[in-house]
Amino acid sequence: MAVSSARIAGRRVGNAVFVGACVLVTVLALAALAAILWSLASQGVGGLNLAVFTKSTPAPGSPGGLANAIVGSIMLGLLAMAIAVVIGILAGTWLAEYAGDSRYGSAVRFLNDVLLSAPSILVGLFVYEILVAPFGGFSGLAGGVALALLAAPVITRTTEDVLKLQATALREAGVALGTPVWRVIGKILWRSGASGIITGALLAFARISGETAPLLFTALNNQFFSLDMTKPMANLPVVIFQFALSAYDDWRRLAWAGALIIAVSVLGVTIIARILSQEQKRS
Amino acid sequence: MNSLAPDAFDTSIVSIAPDRVKLDIQELDFFYGKNRVLKGVSLGVARNAVTALIGPSGCGKSTLLRSLNRMYALYPGQRATGRILFDGEDILKAGTDLSMLRAKIGMVFQKPTPFPMSIHDNVAFGVRLYESLRKAEMADRVEDALRRAALWDEVKDQLHASGLGLSGGQQQRLCVARCIAVKPEVLLLDEPTSALDPISSAKLEETVTQLKADYTIVIVTHNLGQAARLSDHTGFMYLGELVEFGETAGMFTKPVTSRASDYITGRFG
Repeated sequence: MAVSSARIAGRRVGNAVFVGACVLVTVLALAALAAILWSLASQGVGGLNLAVFTKSTPAPGSPGGLANAIVGSIMLGLLAMAIAVVIGILAGTWLAEYAGDSRYGSAVRFLNDVLLSAPSILVGLFVYEILVAPFGGFSGLAGGVALALLAAPVITRTTEDVLKLQATALREAGVALGTPVWRVIGKILWRSGASGIITGALLAFARISGETAPLLFTALNNQFFSLDMTKPMANLPVVIFQFALSAYDDWRRLAWAGALIIAVSVLGVTIIARILSQEQKRS
Repeated sequence: MNSLAPDAFDTSIVSIAPDRVKLDIQELDFFYGKNRVLKGVSLGVARNAVTALIGPSGCGKSTLLRSLNRMYALYPGQRATGRILFDGEDILKAGTDLSMLRAKIGMVFQKPTPFPMSIHDNVAFGVRLYESLRKAEMADRVEDALRRAALWDEVKDQLHASGLGLSGGQQQRLCVARCIAVKPEVLLLDEPTSALDPISSAKLEETVTQLKADYTIVIVTHNLGQAARLSDHTGFMYLGELVEFGETAGMFTKPVTSRASDYITGRFG
């Protein structure tokens, strides 16, 4: 044995300290998460009742719910995803299949990564400048566009990654049958990467579902039930922002309920994404 | 190595009657960027026969195969010069319709590549690109292709199950069926059995033997026994050159060049 026993003992101590530190930090992080979820659940469940889903946001002191905000959030989310999925999938496909290492391709890839981590408030301001200020009013459309700008880079990135993971052999096999490249992409590569691309879209949806800052500048809020996308539109994040900071107990209860609804929806979407990505791995 | 034996071999002395030549490769050079990996390769591929390409790894045999359907054109920086006459038409010249070319010259790869769809749709995929058949006609075409690929009996009851659920050997025969359903004239096989177990390999070889009657086949293989069993002509390649080309029987019993002799007897490679 060339290693002295003192050195071995030293290593054991070092190891114990390191593992101990890892465990401690993990426990701290999980405890914070548990505390957040606990307060959310305990305070939110109390505010949940049928009226939350059927009545619109009330004036202070009168009964009401979140129906207008829930429907508004769903509509904004759908509009945003409709735009972002089209842009994201096409851009991701271009980056993976056509751009290669070209300068333009690298530039687009880099800018997409920048957008991926851009502060959402900047995106809100940008959309305010191009869609709200010139047209003289806040609107659901502007809100949907702002959220789309946040979701599209996520989908672009995951689509590119998923397509690049496809075996070269599959691509060549399609081409070898006399299939034009664009049809190989549409009929074979998208299909075989479908669950990965869907996972990316769901993650993007999870990301935008709690965004507040961009909506403050765009969709703003609407205390009445409205399906008109050209007018200001109620949505859960902004209602939570407004109600949680208010001095009225019933508003604060509704804010907690809204927060719980968002958290549960995001959890649901994440679970679906997990299941899909596991299926992808199996096939 | 016997230094007296001729190292180079004039491939032109192997005569295939001109009317039997399906693919006439003339002075083919191939470049990956600036790197020249095929050096003046010339050979004729005979109609309704199997031509095998053998040689150690990196000798250029797969590159030669990928030139024949211009698969390399997918990648910028790869190019071929020289001439490849396909029924007299030079497929290397600009303006060749690559999709049509590849529909006529099909290819099966080293690893099975079933598409993520049903067995039926896998076989019908290529057909749908060029022909609009009625349902019954398509069913006949699919059955015919699967029978020729010796897969029909194993899958006839599960045509609408996913092609990904088949075994490796079955997947490879599915790829052969998919390829011949398009009714190509030439089949290119790039080490088609190297990812298969011996029993599946034997089945695939049997399939190839049966296909010979209707197709011109070029097969790249590392398996010398396979080349000897399947092919009518064999080309031995080394470092980007076609060192020797001839009738398979002659090549395996009396190779002319020392390199081919060393490779075939297992002294290198």
